[in-house]
Amino acid sequence: MTQIELPDYRLQSPEVTARFDRLKSRPIVLEAKNLGKTFSSPQGEVIALEDINFAVHRREFLCVIGASGCGKSTLIRILAGLETPSEGEVLIDHKRVTGPGPERGMVFQAYTLFPWLTVRGNVMFGLKMTGHSPSVSESEARQWIAMVGLSKFENAYPHQLSGGMKQRVAIARALANQPRVLLMDEPFGALDAQTRCQMQSYLLQIWRNVDVTIVFITHDLEEAIYLADRILVLEAHPGRVEELIEVPVPRPRTSEQFISPEFLAAKQRLEELIHPPGQTAADKLPTLRLTQAGDDVE
Amino acid sequence: MNPKEPWFKIREGLNVRRVTFLTACSFLLPLALWCLVSYVPFIWHPDVRLEVSADRADVSTVYIAGDHVSKEFFGTFQEAIRNGNKTILQDRANGNETGGLMARRDNQKKLRQLAGLAIANGWLRSNQREDDSAIFEIWKGIATGALIPKAPPLNAENLPIVRQNWQMLSSVSQSFDVRKLPEQPLLNLIPQGQPSNPSYLPAPHEVLLTGWHNFTNGDPLGQLSLFDRLLISIRIVWGGFLLSCLVGVPIGVLAGIYSVFSKLLEPFTDFFRYMPAPAFSTLLVAAFGADDAPKISLVFIGTFFQMVLVISKTTRQLDHSLLEAAQTLGARPRQLFSHVVIPGILPDLYNDLRILLGWSWTWLVIAELIGVKTGLTEFIETQGRWRNFDAVFPVIILIGVIGFFTDQFLAWFRGVLFPYTRTSRTKSKIQKKPGPPPRMRQATASTEAPVTELTPT
Repeated sequence: MTQIELPDYRLQSPEVTARFDRLKSRPIVLEAKNLGKTFSSPQGEVIALEDINFAVHRREFLCVIGASGCGKSTLIRILAGLETPSEGEVLIDHKRVTGPGPERGMVFQAYTLFPWLTVRGNVMFGLKMTGHSPSVSESEARQWIAMVGLSKFENAYPHQLSGGMKQRVAIARALANQPRVLLMDEPFGALDAQTRCQMQSYLLQIWRNVDVTIVFITHDLEEAIYLADRILVLEAHPGRVEELIEVPVPRPRTSEQFISPEFLAAKQRLEELIHPPGQTAADKLPTLRLTQAGDDVE
Repeated sequence: MNPKEPWFKIREGLNVRRVTFLTACSFLLPLALWCLVSYVPFIWHPDVRLEVSADRADVSTVYIAGDHVSKEFFGTFQEAIRNGNKTILQDRANGNETGGLMARRDNQKKLRQLAGLAIANGWLRSNQREDDSAIFEIWKGIATGALIPKAPPLNAENLPIVRQNWQMLSSVSQSFDVRKLPEQPLLNLIPQGQPSNPSYLPAPHEVLLTGWHNFTNGDPLGQLSLFDRLLISIRIVWGGFLLSCLVGVPIGVLAGIYSVFSKLLEPFTDFFRYMPAPAFSTLLVAAFGADDAPKISLVFIGTFFQMVLVISKTTRQLDHSLLEAAQTLGARPRQLFSHVVIPGILPDLYNDLRILLGWSWTWLVIAELIGVKTGLTEFIETQGRWRNFDAVFPVIILIGVIGFFTDQFLAWFRGVLFPYTRTSRTKSKIQKKPGPPPRMRQATASTEAPVTELTPT
């Protein structure tokens, strides 16, 4: 097997460096300070998150990645205000978060569309809750539905839609409130591979056109590299920030970049962090042979 | 569909034609079984239904035409009457008959032995059972051959007896006069009858005819028509049910939302529902009098406690992530309640109430028995005591039919109220176009999602 020589994942082209400089000069929208979360269980206390610090700039796309059980979902639920941290605080525009609010929209893996509302009703929901008049809500909702390309399905109920369409409605619903931050908890995890690719490009497209900062949780390495400006890698047990990687792949992103040296370098680094060699699951299995000698699979 | 498709496949559906066929069978088979038992004489039929009956000497139990007796008893019954007739004939031959006024009165009774048969043949109305002049004319008719009983016929043993008796009768008078009845004992008619099922299993046609008669001609009890009784019963069921909804739904929903209410109310409710509602009947009569109030409250007790538990469970089953999603969209607690909890549980709540309404119907009969009996139950009770089961069955079936069709209607109406719960997945699901290959990411994005500039960048 030939080893491909990959550049260091920290190497950035001048354009990419310039882009990151611009990004970092923008104001900080979301900040996590010394976040910690401890769950008490009958077996004692379990530390899910410990000493998490990071800041997200305006219109940044941040992916959070980590092995399963590392506390990714707990982190995003704390950011959303659905759970309270045991230690530390979350700041949004330098104000402390005390609970869920419309300035932090959220898209869940399980769609969570309201089954009794049509697509339009779902997208209007947040606007109605925040006190917009029905006529304003309706015209705003129409715009957002058009944005995710579902104008033809305005009057359909969620159960009539495919998974990808449902998630587009969920995105439109969250964006209709014009949130400062869009929190996405493995939003494409339940979709098949093809729909997922489609959704990823939809999301980038929408993100380009809307003033919104995105925090995106995933366990898919390629998805993280394809979407993110920076990738926050979480270590498991306890959940800590292992590294904050600046993705060296230039924008606009295309699928051709999947085999570009920068992309592969970043992927290799993530593999190292998340699947360290020697700790792969297959090595943990006992060696029990049920095949005959000379019958080996290559 | 393939006709060779197997009927039995574990957890597999059937095609529409088979489903329709089986649904029809599900109702027709029990009906066919009922017909089989009723109309095939050699299946079961342990009784004899009397067409002609007679009084035995020295026995106080009296059977009249229309009564059911067991087959064994029927034999001894006939034998006893035959022996009685032999004695009469012997006495008559020996000339030592005990005559006089006693015999004359007995003879009047013996004449009436033909009444049942005459009514069945349509020669007498059912209220003419003791119209002796009319009965006398029928004796005359049968004896002279002017009247020939056909449905049912008079058997070969009884026809000579009628003629013999008529000879004696006509020798005294050609028309009925109590004082001109013979003073020598007439012969008894020998009991005759048809094999039949016990009176508690009337044949389908009897049930149908009696039911039709009672609904169109009013009540044999002569007070309220069956339709009025039905309205009374419906009032009691719905009264108890609606009262229960009025209190039970809010409490159930609150207990489902707030742990405070759940922990405060549910343990006692759980305990109370194990106490059978009918056990409270005397108490309810003492508290609310004997009219509708205790009946409605019995239905209430029987429904309410179940309702609180069922509805709190339904409310708790609302997908919690919907509440979280609504919160991230800016919903405040009050809005969560009115815009997420209520619309979210409504379809299931509706279904719960539908099932609980059926529950309320099951309390009806017990409820109507307490205090002053009313409604359909009073009718069932009274007719049942008189063993008029052909009148009871239509009412029981009516209750079933009303419950069944109400339920079917409500189930259908759920789809109208909550169109998004229709689970015809394969039909309504919008067919997803096969997605483009992953290599075309950029292209798909720009063609399908229109670029809308909302904010200046």
